Amino acid sequence: MNNPGGSPHPAAGLDRLQIGHLRHFANLSRQPPNQWDLMKGKGYGQEDFGGYRFQLAYMAYALALTHRHRLPAAPGVFKPIFERLIGKMLLPEVWMYWRDVSRGGSIFNAHLSSLYVEQWDPVIRDNIMYSAYLQSMALMYHYLFDDDRYAQPGALTLRFWSYFWGGEEKRFVYDEKSLNAHLYWQMVESGYLGVACEPNCTFQICNQPAILGFRLHDLVYGGSIATDVVSGYEQAWKDFGRIGDNGHYNIMLAQDTKVVRPNIGKAVWVDAWCGALMNMWNRDFVHAHYAGQAKDFLKPGSDGEFSVITGERPLVMGQTIVSDSCDFGWMAAWASEMGDDTTLRGLLKHADRHMSPRWSDGGLHYPRNDAATDADGNATMIEPMSGNVLVGYARLNIPDGLWRFYNEPWDASRFAEPALTRVSDDLDVSKAWFDAVANRLEFSLDGRGVASNGEVVLGNLRSRGRWSLHRDGTVIARGESDLPGKTSGDVDFQPTEDGLRLRHLDAGPGAYVMTFEA
Amino acid sequence: MQVPPSTEPPAILGTFQLTDHNGRDVDAGSFRGSFVLVFFGFTHCRVVCPRALTKLSAALNALGEISVRLAALYITVDPDRDNPQVMRDYLRAYPSILGLTGSRAQIDDAKRNFRVFARRGAPSPDDGGYDVPHTAITYLLDPEGVVVAHFNDAIEVSDLIARLGSHLKNYTPAEVTRRD
Repeated sequence: MNNPGGSPHPAAGLDRLQIGHLRHFANLSRQPPNQWDLMKGKGYGQEDFGGYRFQLAYMAYALALTHRHRLPAAPGVFKPIFERLIGKMLLPEVWMYWRDVSRGGSIFNAHLSSLYVEQWDPVIRDNIMYSAYLQSMALMYHYLFDDDRYAQPGALTLRFWSYFWGGEEKRFVYDEKSLNAHLYWQMVESGYLGVACEPNCTFQICNQPAILGFRLHDLVYGGSIATDVVSGYEQAWKDFGRIGDNGHYNIMLAQDTKVVRPNIGKAVWVDAWCGALMNMWNRDFVHAHYAGQAKDFLKPGSDGEFSVITGERPLVMGQTIVSDSCDFGWMAAWASEMGDDTTLRGLLKHADRHMSPRWSDGGLHYPRNDAATDADGNATMIEPMSGNVLVGYARLNIPDGLWRFYNEPWDASRFAEPALTRVSDDLDVSKAWFDAVANRLEFSLDGRGVASNGEVVLGNLRSRGRWSLHRDGTVIARGESDLPGKTSGDVDFQPTEDGLRLRHLDAGPGAYVMTFEA
Repeated sequence: MQVPPSTEPPAILGTFQLTDHNGRDVDAGSFRGSFVLVFFGFTHCRVVCPRALTKLSAALNALGEISVRLAALYITVDPDRDNPQVMRDYLRAYPSILGLTGSRAQIDDAKRNFRVFARRGAPSPDDGGYDVPHTAITYLLDPEGVVVAHFNDAIEVSDLIARLGSHLKNYTPAEVTRRD
């Protein structure tokens, strides 16, 4: 098997719910520019944790984990979704909040507001809560698909122009390398404490995606930026401590006073988000604290269900905070990374029973619900970030999935292995892996009865010699290299410039196996 | 329509206007024609600076004759204590390295131009002394003053020698900025 450690996940494939999450990600990614159906949270202006940027980024991360761990031979499923998600990350609707947030004035930096100026470029200063996601998504794409399109000059260009206001076009030109270098030097300038989100606020959580991006840069280009940064980051935070007196992760550091803000209120998202990500480079530490932290957040229900305990948020400056905490989703994502199957299953069971799972165009999501509980007292609140993305992330992840992604580099030899290099939008793929030992490609397709195109291209066949293609145990075609030979029955199989095109238009699913003699 | 120029991330400019430990005013142009190694630190530093300066000295020695094409500079991040005399005395143990200091404003400019972090710590209740945690990166500028590489504190001296040797031997004036 080409999956390290002989993981059973690729061979097992995806279940119906996992396929539904993938389909939902794809559906959201296909919405036309500036259509954000199902994605708007409670807050105003893309400022909080329910912002589109987080949904887009964690869909991409979930896709990466799924491709790496569960559908390794199906780049054609993931690549186009990734491209659409990155395209949306560049839309002004996603990043224009920074023009306002850069001015400061929050309770954490109100005293410094006179020092800040309106900043349009969303990556030039602070705002790691956007820049690191753009950086890591672009480098993740390069790493996963061996495609350097975002390394081209100007490939990550952020543009804004309005017919109605604002004068001339604003244009900020980056690519994955220049953006990565910029984040690295911001890290250096911070003494490795990290880059701020809102001015003056350096969150532990929000610097984790940048570290992931550095690691991906190292995997693509060589070097040891991630090791350098992690080493400096560990050293820098020693003075403050990652964990507060109550055993929970410190939230953030005020840059001016060098005072950390502990998680006094035991907010679930603080620990869960931080733990789910930090595990990639700090596994022993995160695992060691998980049980003690999680026990403060979980509320057992009937029949093994779990919900999360979300406390009342205090008034700030006399105001009620209206934002998406995404507690439930982050708890599920964290449990999945920790391999805590009991908790994960309990949370998913609760979601399926009390959070109104909805199927739409073959996709599964849990629609936004602002009500804290139903009439029976069951927790029902769920935000788009959780319902669209994080529950799916949790269901698709594997134990230590992000840790493995970070620490077990995927062998580049996979780019030469038989794979589903193109997959039409109307097909679901529930299994796709190449067993190098048995020399066979296994994949399962389902058009859900609605596929009108139903195409997959089987690529990287040229050096593989003679092959046989089986469907549901029966040989349906034989051939050599990327040329089809004899077919039997109603099989639509044509050579194309990048492989062999197979059409699957059946109402039902099909389990395919391609065996090679060479 | 004329599109306004885009903003650019601040580059590693590699420029400074300082005073060397012999009291001479110097700037980056003073070293044109030579490769230049630049390390920021402070003479009261107990661990990081001695380790880095020892490593740099060892690398310069190991490079032999070609090291004449290489100047090594130690820029203080603690100008309040590190005047030229203090730096000269401190660097007697590292004779291949030239110390640079200046006013607080000059040092701040140099730090900004190299994107260096340094922050004065709280004074010790015992003697009023203080630390200045700082970036421990060594920068390499080519003979035209372009930052062509930087080396993290963790680099092994053998690796440092190899990389410096490669830059010195393979230099062409058109060499572009990159991360080593």
